[in-house]
Amino acid sequence: MNLKEFRIGIQSWFEDRLGLSLITKFLRKKEVPQHRHTIWYYTGSAILLFFGIQVITGFMLVFYYKPTLEQANESIARMITDVPLGWIIRSVHSWSASFMIAIVFIHLFCVWLTKSYRKPRELTWMSGIFLLVLSLAFGFTGYLLPWDDLSLSATKVGTDIPRCIPVGGLWVTKFLRGGEDVTGDTLTRFFGFHVCILPVFIFILLALHIYLIQKQGMSLPLDAERKKEEVKVLPFWPNFVYREMVVWFLLLGILFTVAIFFPPSLDKEADLMAPAPEGVKPEWYFLFLFQTLKIVPARIFSVSGDTVAVLFMLVLGFLFFFLPLIDHKPAGKKGKFITLIAYAVILYAVVMTVWSLW
Amino acid sequence: MIRVRKPKALILLMICLFSAVFSLERSFGQQITPEKQEKSLQAESKPEKIIPSPKNIKERTALYVFIGWMWLAIFVLIFILRLKIKEADRLYRLKFFLKNKK
Repeated sequence: MNLKEFRIGIQSWFEDRLGLSLITKFLRKKEVPQHRHTIWYYTGSAILLFFGIQVITGFMLVFYYKPTLEQANESIARMITDVPLGWIIRSVHSWSASFMIAIVFIHLFCVWLTKSYRKPRELTWMSGIFLLVLSLAFGFTGYLLPWDDLSLSATKVGTDIPRCIPVGGLWVTKFLRGGEDVTGDTLTRFFGFHVCILPVFIFILLALHIYLIQKQGMSLPLDAERKKEEVKVLPFWPNFVYREMVVWFLLLGILFTVAIFFPPSLDKEADLMAPAPEGVKPEWYFLFLFQTLKIVPARIFSVSGDTVAVLFMLVLGFLFFFLPLIDHKPAGKKGKFITLIAYAVILYAVVMTVWSLW
Repeated sequence: MIRVRKPKALILLMICLFSAVFSLERSFGQQITPEKQEKSLQAESKPEKIIPSPKNIKERTALYVFIGWMWLAIFVLIFILRLKIKEADRLYRLKFFLKNKK
């Protein structure tokens, strides 16, 4: 038996038992439109790639991490100084999270600007918004785990924000902290969220999101759909997958290079009794919110400025979630105005982030 | 028709890549000796900030070698993928898979 016969034998053994050819048939039937916005289709698979890397590196980190007040910081210090390749694994985990969230934002704004959420893809958008919130929650809960001064202070500030909401806000703060203040209970709770609860929700929502994309197919540009233009297509398998693989390899190369040359540092263990250090800042993806809260006046019409800002953000988030229903005629005047709002939001987020870093 | 000897090239690249990774001093899964762990736990003066980096010149060199091999492997893989894309597009234009279905 030569190598080819052996390979065919193995393939047919699995085929008889799993029926994998159904998947390849489906993938070969699936088509990807080719137009000037096709490049944005690659962002979806790039997010999946970074998510996969985080799952794998997360498993590796869990072997050494100890989520207790006494050992959290020490276990990470040990991980990056004593464990062979530990610092690279941690750096890859941290950088892939940043890369993933950056691409999630790009993906989101591309969908918004190309109006891909229009009928019948409203639920795809809504599941995507939930995925964005979960990704940010992963970032927020993961930030506390090193248990250093900066992460403690940033978590104190972050978990204090819901307190501004008049109804139920205090309960949310207590629920997040596991008590009145950020303590060892908060650390254990955040670890639980980070490795158990959030992964369950993200896997369910990811499955739903991918199912909806497969069911509805890739969206066409708005103009092409309105004018009923013929758009060139490409089979997903293997033509588009090969193209995606080129992007994956490049992203992997960039990720490993950045992770090796710029590993995240670890500050000294957090002291619960010590005052907050200067220059407390959250992760870069929360900076625009952080800066917004910073510039809001202390009182607006005799109401706390923070309360007004947080309520305003909640309303905006609510509108954002229902955007496909609000923008139900994307080619009309309202649709164009909503596109302008998208550009304004991008500009605002960039300006606020840069201002916060200044 | 373009023919790519991909299995051999891929196997060779994978061997190079993995050898570069495992040429580092020890593997990630290897256990730390109790003495070393005790030593780190007993460290009296904890540093203010730990900036992770390669410990010695050997580790640093191994990392540079790894990055070099990684990028070389990526460029070779992209070159192979470009050939595969051209071939897959050509077969699609010829409606090769539709013919097969019939």
